[in-house]
Amino acid sequence: MSDKIKPENLRPPRRKTLDRSIILLIVGAVLLMPPIIGISLVDSKFGGIPIPVLYVFLIWAVLIVSAAILSRPLRDNDRDVQPSNPENNL
Amino acid sequence: MLSVNVLLAACIGYVILLFSIAFIVDRRTRKKPIGWLHSPVVYTLSISVYCTSWTFYGAVGSAARNGLEFITIYLGPTLVFVGWWWLLRKLVRIGRAHKITSIADLISSRYGKSPSLAVIVTVIAVIATTPYIALQLQSVTRSYQVIAGEADGITTAFWIAAGMALFTILFGTRNLDANERHHGVVAAIAVEAIVKLCALLAVGIFATYSVADGLGDIFDDVTIEAIRGSGDIFGPRWATLMFLSATAIICLPRQFQVTVVENIEERHLATASWLFPLYLFGMTLFIMPIALVGLDVMPAGSNPDLYVLTLPLAKQQNELVLLAFLGGFSSATSMVILAAIAVSTMVSNHIVMPVALRLIPASKEVSGDVRSLLLTSRRISIGLILALGFLYFYVSGGSDALAAIGLIAFVGVAQFLPSLLGGVFWRGATRAGAISGLLIGFVFWVYTLFLPSFGGDFILSADAIEYGLWGIEVLRPQALFGLTDMDPLVHAVVWSVGCNALAFILISGLTQNNALEHLQSTLFVDVFRSAGGAPSSFSNAAADSEDLFVLAQRILGAEPARKLFDEMAHAQGQEEGLPHATDTVIARLERELSGSIGAASAHAMVTRIAGRQTVGMTELIDIADETQQLIETSRQLSEKSEELQNTAKQLRIVNERLRTLDAQKDDFLSQVSHELRTPMTSIRSFSEILMNDPDISETDKARFVSIIQDESLRLTRLLDEILDISRLEAGMSQIKLLQMDANDAVQAALDTVSGMTRTAGVRVKTDLDEGPVDILVNDDRLRQVMINVLSNAVKYNTASEPEIFVRTKRVNNSVFIDIIDNGGGVPADVSGSIFDKFTRGAHEGNNNGAGLGLAISLAIMRAMNGNLTLEHMPDKTNFFRLSLENPTANL
Repeated sequence: MSDKIKPENLRPPRRKTLDRSIILLIVGAVLLMPPIIGISLVDSKFGGIPIPVLYVFLIWAVLIVSAAILSRPLRDNDRDVQPSNPENNL
Repeated sequence: MLSVNVLLAACIGYVILLFSIAFIVDRRTRKKPIGWLHSPVVYTLSISVYCTSWTFYGAVGSAARNGLEFITIYLGPTLVFVGWWWLLRKLVRIGRAHKITSIADLISSRYGKSPSLAVIVTVIAVIATTPYIALQLQSVTRSYQVIAGEADGITTAFWIAAGMALFTILFGTRNLDANERHHGVVAAIAVEAIVKLCALLAVGIFATYSVADGLGDIFDDVTIEAIRGSGDIFGPRWATLMFLSATAIICLPRQFQVTVVENIEERHLATASWLFPLYLFGMTLFIMPIALVGLDVMPAGSNPDLYVLTLPLAKQQNELVLLAFLGGFSSATSMVILAAIAVSTMVSNHIVMPVALRLIPASKEVSGDVRSLLLTSRRISIGLILALGFLYFYVSGGSDALAAIGLIAFVGVAQFLPSLLGGVFWRGATRAGAISGLLIGFVFWVYTLFLPSFGGDFILSADAIEYGLWGIEVLRPQALFGLTDMDPLVHAVVWSVGCNALAFILISGLTQNNALEHLQSTLFVDVFRSAGGAPSSFSNAAADSEDLFVLAQRILGAEPARKLFDEMAHAQGQEEGLPHATDTVIARLERELSGSIGAASAHAMVTRIAGRQTVGMTELIDIADETQQLIETSRQLSEKSEELQNTAKQLRIVNERLRTLDAQKDDFLSQVSHELRTPMTSIRSFSEILMNDPDISETDKARFVSIIQDESLRLTRLLDEILDISRLEAGMSQIKLLQMDANDAVQAALDTVSGMTRTAGVRVKTDLDEGPVDILVNDDRLRQVMINVLSNAVKYNTASEPEIFVRTKRVNNSVFIDIIDNGGGVPADVSGSIFDKFTRGAHEGNNNGAGLGLAISLAIMRAMNGNLTLEHMPDKTNFFRLSLENPTANL
């Protein structure tokens, strides 16, 4: 196993993914936390579903989809980290 | 109606199924890894152990009571997974590099492998897990009661607890994995995750589309009040719950176990980052509809926590009831199994092992004895943890809503957050800071939330909860120090987590890391930069390989220990035998052992054999990050360049002096050749006349020969002088010094020049110091100097009545011989260069000497440790002074 820092570890896409996920975290937290979430508290329905319920589940769904898109470049392992299969240990 | 026998049979069959899965997977994994088990989906499903029976039953109850609030428990983890997976990735990487076995192991390992810190975290984890396990017991008991009728709650709970303990022991402690991984258990948990999701979705779809007529129908007559619950839903409590659930997904011992310890590949986190939130989304999708349908359909007064079960029961859907029961059973068992495994690992590694290490005599070393001790202690710990859960259920009476009990556990484990985050992101976090933060947070949690949860039945009386400890109002547990009008949960979080973080930061700022803490902090914080770095090093490796091998056998068992040592010996290039106990071998062994018994215990055991552990300064520098190394290098470079600049400056000065000397030498040579040229020219021209002109008279002949003779003598004298001065200046001519009286020397010199003075009509006066004036000189040389100076005084004296005054005197330890004439002294324009070679006074015409006399005199005086100076008088006249040391002055 190489202990060296490899340039491809610092390659921009990974860095960008990290930055975007932080943005996702901040945007998600702001939208789902008071006071912003308070704007959804209106007494009306859309498609038969109350607005606050729809608001929360909609943002939730958007977050999941965004995370799925963002995680694509991360599906490969770091090249310098071996998967720790049982046969590699001991 | 579903019969109890069918229910029990289904339960037992389900358990046997799970056990078979775990058994087969474990066996197959040992032979060769199973592909599908390595998929990120299984990893994600195992993380969903987060959804316990609190979700399965309690979320519906919470939705029925407080509207949309229940969803915060799932939004927090969603935010962590979609946006903060890089924290989890860092934890996974650290866990891999340091063979971390639990959250207690991580925190203790980060803060210098501190055993005390491990104990504190373990104790908090045990206490915080207790109500959570009680919650599972309560929900399974209730669900059983719903189907079996009014069976005795306590008896039922007892048997459920006993069954779960047995189940967990069979599952979790069948073997001792080197990495604390339980592949079989993870597979079984994944199956349970699918079962509970399907069960909840089935009940939800049944409630929405069979009992009610679609979502529109359910929400048709729902008012905004039903959604916002009682009070301000999007207030501080909402934010607190989001924070707590986000913290819990990181800090709960069982979540740490599945997310970090059981992680097989780091990239699985990428999939989990969206798949786990999706799972939570699916679990919560029908919570609200079930709650609303339940409120609508079920008779008033029925427990909303059990709508998932009672709704299909009321509609006579036996198969659905069975599925729902198994779903709830799955959620409860998966949580209990993993929590018990995680916490029992902590208890046996951090509490039982250190005690056992002290009690077991070191001589009784049997292969694998520590291993069997570990397994036994884990089994007993599991039993004890479930017993505690049962005790909590028994004491608290299980009357609370499920969600409230779960939140107590959440606040408890939230105490780990400051030390954990500080540990992996802040190099300055110290052990003292972590210990004080954890202890303070723990005390506040126990006092403001844990003890009041018993409603006055345990330690704190109902009066103390209402009116404060000993009736002191500021000590009211739910309005501490006058912080009133607050939700008890928000109140407890503000005090416990707030004071915890504050103490952690303050004490960390005030204390220093020791060497091992410093090393660990750098390895943890910079885990992505120093991947694979040795967690510790022994600079003094006097360890015996034999002892280390015995230790490894005791903990890992004979075969794995043999394999490990063979591999290490191989790496050292040895064909057989044990490897040399190098730093690398010891560090590797410690890491392997910490996979079984935790970093603190492994460190203690290896240290006991390998001798005193020290972290050398060089190692600390080695692991310091690149920036620090760069700073160090540039500092050294600037020092070097400063050094170079100094050297260059000195060289320049030396060079300058060399140039001056060179110029002086050239000057000297040209003067010497000039001086030699004059007599040579006259000798040559007169000898030419004598040779070529035979008609010269005898008188002329005699005159010319005498001129040649004179010039030759002058030439010889000049050459002698030059030779003399160069010898004197080079220090080559050894002058023999003898003690004599300065007055005698003056008298002798005056005698020598007496003829000359008489001829020139110069009067000589003397003023000699009384008594013998001892000097250490060479008689002849001193006389040469005095004659030179005296003859100059006679020759260049232009006064009408020329006079010379010679005096001797002693001043301190010096002797002066002053030669003063009344001729006005040396002219001012040459007084500065009078001692230079070839310098004559401004008396043109009297061109007898070569101008070397004074230069030679000065050289002689210096060779005799004295000096020859031109002393200036206030009336602008000057005189020559010969100074010498008085050899008797110090006697």
